[in-house]
Amino acid sequence: MSRQLGESFWKDLGDLVGAVRRAMWITFLNFFRKPVTVHYPEVKRVYPDRFRGVLALTYDKETGEENCIGCRLCEYICPPQVIKVEMLKAEKRNYAKVFTLELYACEFCELCVQVCPTDAIIMMKSFDLATSDRRELLLDKDRLHTIGLQFEPSWATGNGLRDMQTPPKAAPAEHARAEAPAAKAPAAKAPATNTEAPAE
Amino acid sequence: MGYGGAERITMNMGPQHPSSHGVFRAILTLEGETVVAVDAVIGYLHRCHEKLAETLTYTQYPSIASKTDYVAAMTSELAYVRAAEMIGKIDVPKRAQYLRVIAAELQRIASHCLWLGTWCLDMGGALGGGATVFLYCIREREDVLDLFEALTGARLLYGLHQVGGVRYDIPADWAGKCRATVDKIEGRISEFEEMLESNAFFLARTQGVGTVSRELAQEVGISGPLVRGSGVSYDIRRAEPYSSYEDFDFKVPVEREGDCFARYRVRMVEFRQSIKIVRQALDGLPVGPISSRPGVKSVGQVRIPKGEAYARVEGARGEVGCYLIADGSAKPYRMKWRGASFSNLSILPHIIPGHKVADVVAIMGSVDPVFGEVDR
Amino acid sequence: MLSAISSFVVGFIVLNAIIGMVTYVTLLERKFAARMQSRIGPYRVGPHGLLQPIADALKLMMKEDVVPRLADKTVYNLAPIVFLVPCMLIFATLPFAPGLGVADLNIGILFFLAVSAMEIVGLFMGGWGSNNKYALLSVMRAVNQIISYDLPFVFAAMVPVLLTGSLKLSDIAAAQPDLLHWFVFYPVIGQLAFIAYIVATLAAENRVPFDILEAESELIAGFRVEYSGMKFALIQLGEYAHVIATSFLGALLFLGAWGGPGPAWLGPLWFLLKAMAVFLLLTWIRWSFVRIRVDQILAVSWKLLLPATLILLMVTAVVVAWPRGGAVV
Repeated sequence: MSRQLGESFWKDLGDLVGAVRRAMWITFLNFFRKPVTVHYPEVKRVYPDRFRGVLALTYDKETGEENCIGCRLCEYICPPQVIKVEMLKAEKRNYAKVFTLELYACEFCELCVQVCPTDAIIMMKSFDLATSDRRELLLDKDRLHTIGLQFEPSWATGNGLRDMQTPPKAAPAEHARAEAPAAKAPAAKAPATNTEAPAE
Repeated sequence: MGYGGAERITMNMGPQHPSSHGVFRAILTLEGETVVAVDAVIGYLHRCHEKLAETLTYTQYPSIASKTDYVAAMTSELAYVRAAEMIGKIDVPKRAQYLRVIAAELQRIASHCLWLGTWCLDMGGALGGGATVFLYCIREREDVLDLFEALTGARLLYGLHQVGGVRYDIPADWAGKCRATVDKIEGRISEFEEMLESNAFFLARTQGVGTVSRELAQEVGISGPLVRGSGVSYDIRRAEPYSSYEDFDFKVPVEREGDCFARYRVRMVEFRQSIKIVRQALDGLPVGPISSRPGVKSVGQVRIPKGEAYARVEGARGEVGCYLIADGSAKPYRMKWRGASFSNLSILPHIIPGHKVADVVAIMGSVDPVFGEVDR
Repeated sequence: MLSAISSFVVGFIVLNAIIGMVTYVTLLERKFAARMQSRIGPYRVGPHGLLQPIADALKLMMKEDVVPRLADKTVYNLAPIVFLVPCMLIFATLPFAPGLGVADLNIGILFFLAVSAMEIVGLFMGGWGSNNKYALLSVMRAVNQIISYDLPFVFAAMVPVLLTGSLKLSDIAAAQPDLLHWFVFYPVIGQLAFIAYIVATLAAENRVPFDILEAESELIAGFRVEYSGMKFALIQLGEYAHVIATSFLGALLFLGAWGGPGPAWLGPLWFLLKAMAVFLLLTWIRWSFVRIRVDQILAVSWKLLLPATLILLMVTAVVVAWPRGGAVV
């Protein structure tokens, strides 16, 4: 079925003319379509709700205290091990004495957000990370808190993500989990009992 | 340096080359314009994935698995979590299976968009018609990536899959957006076909070039659109259905000739079939949980009992396989990737000799390697 | 003496005008191509990218001139100049208005076609002097291609010459006084000749779909791969100057040169617009097609285009000579 150019005069001529007409017509059509260029940075793209942007630490909305209790779950789960936490024990609750995050090595996988029991670490809807000094991307605790106040937070929080993923305790027919993730089924709040497969 | 025609020169299509699809070194031996031998050198992108899997747990690794085939990340993650689920005999809820299918098929559409764009870019030049087709394809791919961004938050490397299900459920208006995007892409695919298929230049570049005979396709361990373009009807979604693929009605395209044009036709039909599957999956999406295990809340949460399994999925490039040996702890004992592109590259020494230098890029493009999969 | 000075001055003006035009034609091409690809071309440098060509020129001037150690120095350094000079020289024969031109030779079009083919020497020198297999491979192909396509190019350009009866370019332009007499509207022959001219032009200038000389994705930049800085700029200048010159020639041969509504002094403006129209047509084709292989390019030339233009030329000769009882002039 292979055809090489130059085999048959009139057929080639006809083919070439037809090919030219159709291909050029498509390009011509596209000439009149609106360009898809977004004039960044004057115009910013609209980020979706769940956008995984730069990481931040949060304060509690009511009390204004830091949410982070220094439990180090995020440090353990991070695949490239970019988070380093040191816990500071206090009377009522623990804090994080040191919390560094190496943003230049971060994979933005959102696993640290998912495991956080207090919704302390979240991701923001911003990707403006460009800097000319790599040391600015080694985020310490103060910087992380500042970022948390600077940008708009993404939808994902630890509890929200875990609730979305965890199967409800009751039978599936009772819970209409059709297409709205935010609807938390009441019985499915963070499972206190681990339903894991047998260890061995 | 002679050019008498009988003298041989060695030309290096080096790892830095606009059309090597990644980092690939092909040492071509030329007689005039004809290639007589090709020596492929790989390994420039080796990142020790298999060793990395031994040091990361089952909850951490799916996010890393997407980085093997970074163009079609969903299918790589799927292979890994399926292997873990096969050993641990973990059920995946129906809704999660349908979501996995939607993700995999949308990923196939996006990957084929990139394939078409880069292939035409190689053949047509970075300044020329190739660039035009490339930019059109990327424009459509961006729409699919917008869908993924609304679903997971990331555009290229998702981390959607976890052992037992998926991590994210679809947002409220996502199904509508998905349908609209898929409709739009279907229309645009017709434009691409119009622009390319009736084009005598394109046909002259791709027909009769890089023919893989049916016997060769069955002997050498290639898979995916490569075998289907040579007359072998083998699609893992039909041969060993996984993740509810048996619920969907779709055609597996097969072409007889085995040349670059046949593989092109296979992938163009796969575009439309993927769109069909996505529509069916959205229509029939069951309600229910998206995972059979609790949400990830600690690193050692998933322990897989002793055992081994090989899970294969039909990626955009062929059979992506993950062989896992679990030893009861939270980390696998050994994990091996079967990269689709790695096996597909073995066809090159059989089909390139005899062609001109210009055909090498056409053939490489139709083989569609991604070097993340090759070198891991 | 006075005429020598005046032609020197006109030549100087024309030369500078070409260089200015070449830079802005690159911008035009980029914006036009971008629009066809759903994007905007250069936008940031100057308002809507109008200073982009100046920025590019400054950048090229400031680059380091890297000469490969094993390159053949004389050949390597002379090649851009030998490539550029014919491309500039052909502007000498183009009349921009009746009586306004550097040198309106009696054999104008013959000079044009002959000199424009001399750039092959510059190409080959560049490829050879670079001491680079990629460059050599690409110029081998390019020499093949340009030689093969010069013949259809000449034959297609000969059709208006036959229809006019003179090789002088201003005569050919004068033979197309108004819209109806444009040679492109001449029944059948005109259109076919125009199409053949466009195709041959694309090939003679290494534009896609015949651009195996560059073949970006296979041979990186063809024979330009070892050139940097100002030498690269000279090569680019030569290429685009050649494209513009053949656009002007196409506008003159087929689209009626300076004919157009309005007073006579608007003539050069119409000429420019028509040349730009031809250039945009070439650009439109460039951005719509993939390239074809070298053996297919040669097959198209020898088996398709050459017989076609030859037949066209013979038919034109018959059409012209028949009513006059066999006389051509």
